[in-house]
Amino acid sequence: MMNLVELFGEHPGWYFVAATLTPLLSFVLILLASAMWCAGRAYRATPAGAAIFNLFGGEERGRIPAFVATGAIALAFVFSLIGFIRFTAQQSTFETQINQLQTKLHQLQTQKKTATEKWTHELEEEIEAEEAKLENKEKMWTSARSYAWQGNFDWLRIRPAGIRDADNGTVLQLGFKIDSLSALMFVMVTFIATLIHVFSIGYMSEELQPEVEDHQVHTAHGHLVRRGRFGRFFMFLSLFCFSMLNLVLADNLFQVFLSWELVGICSYLLIGFYTERQSASNAANKAFITNRIGDAGFILGLLILWTNLGTFNFDEIFQRVRAPLSDTHGSVDVAGRIVRGNVDPNNTTKAGQRFTPDEDGSQVLLFPHRPPEHYHAIVSRVSDNPKPDQHSAMPYWLLVAAGLGIFLGCVGKSAQFPLQVWLPDAMEGPTPVSALIHAATMVAAGVYLVGRCYPLFTYDALVVIAYTGGITLFVAATIAVVMTDIKKVLAYSTVSQLGYMMLALGVGGWVAGLFHLMTHAFFKALLFLCSGSVIYGCHHEQDMLKMGGLFPKMKITALSMLAGVLAIAGIPLFTGWYSKDAILAQALGFIYVHPQHLFLFLLPLVTAGITAFYMARMWLMTFTGKPRDEHVYEHAHESPWTMTAPLIILAVCSVCVAWGWPIYDAEASWLEHNVHHAQHHAVLADFGHVDFTESKDHGEYWVVAKKQAQNERLYAFHNHHLAGNLALGLVAISLAFAGLIYWKRVLDPAEAKEQFPSLHAFLMDKWRFDRLYSVILVRPALVVGHWLAWFDLHVIDGLIHLLSWLTVLASKWDGIFDNAIVDGLVNLVGNVMYDAGARLRNVQTGYLRSYVLFLVLAAAGIFMVLAYFVRMAMAG
Amino acid sequence: MTLTDVLFYLLAATTGICALAVVVTQNIVRAAAWLLFTLGGVSGLFFLLGADFVGATQLLVYVGGTLVLVVFGVMLTAQGPFINMRISAAEWAIALSVGLILYGVLAASLVISKQLEPSAGQSVSGEMADSTVLGQSLLGQSQAAPAGYLAGIPASVSRERKKMSYLLPFEIVSVHLLVVLIGAAYLARAKRRRSAVVPASSPQRGDGRTNGQQLGVTV
Amino acid sequence: MIFAVGLDHFLLLGALLFVCGAVCMATKRNAIGILMGVELVLNAATINFVAFARYNPVFQVEGQIFALFVIVLAAAEAAIALAIVLNFYNNHMTVDVDTAEELKG
Repeated sequence: MMNLVELFGEHPGWYFVAATLTPLLSFVLILLASAMWCAGRAYRATPAGAAIFNLFGGEERGRIPAFVATGAIALAFVFSLIGFIRFTAQQSTFETQINQLQTKLHQLQTQKKTATEKWTHELEEEIEAEEAKLENKEKMWTSARSYAWQGNFDWLRIRPAGIRDADNGTVLQLGFKIDSLSALMFVMVTFIATLIHVFSIGYMSEELQPEVEDHQVHTAHGHLVRRGRFGRFFMFLSLFCFSMLNLVLADNLFQVFLSWELVGICSYLLIGFYTERQSASNAANKAFITNRIGDAGFILGLLILWTNLGTFNFDEIFQRVRAPLSDTHGSVDVAGRIVRGNVDPNNTTKAGQRFTPDEDGSQVLLFPHRPPEHYHAIVSRVSDNPKPDQHSAMPYWLLVAAGLGIFLGCVGKSAQFPLQVWLPDAMEGPTPVSALIHAATMVAAGVYLVGRCYPLFTYDALVVIAYTGGITLFVAATIAVVMTDIKKVLAYSTVSQLGYMMLALGVGGWVAGLFHLMTHAFFKALLFLCSGSVIYGCHHEQDMLKMGGLFPKMKITALSMLAGVLAIAGIPLFTGWYSKDAILAQALGFIYVHPQHLFLFLLPLVTAGITAFYMARMWLMTFTGKPRDEHVYEHAHESPWTMTAPLIILAVCSVCVAWGWPIYDAEASWLEHNVHHAQHHAVLADFGHVDFTESKDHGEYWVVAKKQAQNERLYAFHNHHLAGNLALGLVAISLAFAGLIYWKRVLDPAEAKEQFPSLHAFLMDKWRFDRLYSVILVRPALVVGHWLAWFDLHVIDGLIHLLSWLTVLASKWDGIFDNAIVDGLVNLVGNVMYDAGARLRNVQTGYLRSYVLFLVLAAAGIFMVLAYFVRMAMAG
Repeated sequence: MTLTDVLFYLLAATTGICALAVVVTQNIVRAAAWLLFTLGGVSGLFFLLGADFVGATQLLVYVGGTLVLVVFGVMLTAQGPFINMRISAAEWAIALSVGLILYGVLAASLVISKQLEPSAGQSVSGEMADSTVLGQSLLGQSQAAPAGYLAGIPASVSRERKKMSYLLPFEIVSVHLLVVLIGAAYLARAKRRRSAVVPASSPQRGDGRTNGQQLGVTV
Repeated sequence: MIFAVGLDHFLLLGALLFVCGAVCMATKRNAIGILMGVELVLNAATINFVAFARYNPVFQVEGQIFALFVIVLAAAEAAIALAIVLNFYNNHMTVDVDTAEELKG
């Protein structure tokens, strides 16, 4: 025990590792217990089996799995919180320490210049000591120029040595890297997950019964009756929490990929939780397959990175791809940028091939693994097989491809265009699942990875990311306007908001995008849980056309949902406002510098209005007006406290989690500042300017007003309010519009539907994406499958039949040959021998006398022979 | 034409004619008689050659022992149909021709090897070793036999006659004789008859008819 | 001279006796007859031995001794042969050797 305490004390990064492993432990425990229960159930005729069966609950198992899972995730939340607090505390002290050391070093160096000779020696020693201390501190100053806790271990060694350093060979590592962003993500994920676990205890309570009737599955005898699956739900939830936390924790792309696939599996298992429903299993398949398409791109990206860089570790990749901030002579011009150039293979010396920097070059300079003592950031020679202290180059298009590949994975995971088709169908899963996975966490993993891998993306890749996000947010928002299923509205809203985040990341708003990720998690989870509470209260009725006027029946739910709606709409002082403002500001700054991408600002602006509209529509349709279905209205009730308590907590969060001081200042958000700490200097290198000698402003290395004309960050900073006010205006108009239609009933939505039938049908059909994919992909695949089946059945099987027929024929001939010729020969020989023997047998007459005659004849013969020989001997 | 020659021709003729008679005759009893005379003639020839002891032994053992044995056999087995058994003429022809071939070969080889000449200093003497010498060499005295030179062997080999004793062969032969007689006695003992061999009756039936089953030869 | 009796004459006589014995063996159907043929053959061999003993003084002892041995062994052999014949007679009730054709074929 004491060792554990020491471990946590000395290496506080292990708080987060513990937070990751606790849900895994819960998963394993529930799994083992379920396995034992199943085994006991199968053998419950025997006494031992019956004992085990009853030990784990017997027929009615109760809520223990829920308590184990909830306890585990709550414990993980506690660990994350402690870790986060310690991290933030240490980070601020660390920064001040580094600043102090740097000023002291500066002082010593100026002293040295003006000192007399006899002081020089001691001064030099002091300078060396201070430099060593500074180096030690700066080692923790990762290439992101931000404070982080790290640790890793080698998990799998694949020899021989590759581009990675020769003494280690190629290794796959597992490790953790905690900086502000991941610490915040941990807290957010564990907090929301805990609340959702608590909510699920109430929501999934009907799975506790030993027999559950599923009204959506029809069998020959009526509705399907099956066993309740309470424990399984929490088992999957625990596994999901573990994989999501592992993803956030990871410090290398391999571990990210592991968790990537694992969250995909958990999503599949949870979407298809009601396995007997055809729609649910189809949706699960669709989700997994669409994710897999994205993962193909992810793997391609991984392969490119592995081949050219030899490592998966984030820090090492970024350090190699992006120029460092300084070299042996001081700061560099292209600090933090990707350096392009051309390599001339004909101009080769012992030092390597000639490299000329060029803005439109076809190669990218890769910086050395371990910078040598005397180091130039931009060199003129690169080698093909670099040693750890040498530069090399990789083709530029490959780097773009790698970035786009990884981005394709994120497109799949975060349901961006064109792979957004799985998220609305994923609403087949239970509502807590939708809240946790498809609102707050798993779909956020894509955005998180884009943020983490930011230095990998070239300008071209970033433009692609931005446009993808832009298209997605607009398309999804327009579809959400016409949806009538309450969960589908929220699903499309999620897709749209994820598009916002991608757009933000693409235009250089790294902080804005990830800040929106954080805030969105809170209010989207809130909205989903509220919808779950509404569904639960209306006895699993999900169609808004059957709801209406539910406000007096479910006050807590209604008010919480109102908080969420206002947050997502971007009403000032609610959390959504801060992040949306930041995104729009950054987009505005981007189009000032690149006016050809005007749509990248117009689309989010317009969609902000649409978002407010459909969210208000949803709330008003559900809770105000006259009830549209009497039966539903009569039986509606408020949910129990286990379900409403999380709602209240989340509602409070969605109001005040992004507050800073002063509250009304959109840029003063404390959450945003925390995210800002983790920003990689590459973001500023691309969209701002980095000069770390002029570093005293806010303690940040970012704004140098006197340099550099075109600077997106600068414009965004200055025009923050313009963007925000534009958005606010649009939101107000939309909200008024929605109120007029759905509250005051001045305009009739049915009339609008009649006036734009084709548009309405187009939107209702989800922009015909499903039909497009069905025509382009599904049906051709089926046709190809039919062809292949025909080929297999007729050609290949035919070949086999032909071969077997030939073999039978050959064996028949062989048999004939064998019987007639071979056996004939043998028989012939035998017969000949037999006949010869039969004939020779006559010599054996059996008469003594003839034997005597033969003897005598033989004797005569021998005598003759002997006489001849004797005569010969005698003569000779 | 000395007496030796005349006697020889006489005795040789007797012996030859009697031998031929043995062959020719069909009657087994008569063949036994002719054999008797043949053996007598051979004995006479031995006496003529000076081998007294051998001649005497021939008469004693051969005629008086072996031939008597043969006659016993004839008597024991001379049932009606077995006394005269004829063979066909073809067989006679074959047998005679084979016999003539053999005789021709033997005679021819004798004539051809007439090239052997007696060595110098050796004369054909009329002396033969007498019984004393025979007895002594049978008893193991190797000096008993007289010295002499071998003839008819190549000059490279010593012609000195080696001294030999015949005690061991004597003993072997006597033991051999003993063994053979015991064996003969055993072979010819009275045996239990097996019914499969018996054509008509078996001792189990007990019909009293012996029918030549048990010869009553007890050993 | 033909008339002067020498070794050859004895040898020719011996050959004659031998051939007679062989032919007797070949022609007699009676088992005892075959036995007689055997006796004739042995006697022929004895005559040869003694003749050689007589006409080659080196062999005078050997020849006679061997002749003695032959006589003794002939007796032994005759005893055995007779025992065999009697056994044959007991088994087959006949001394016709033509009935002993089990080795036929």
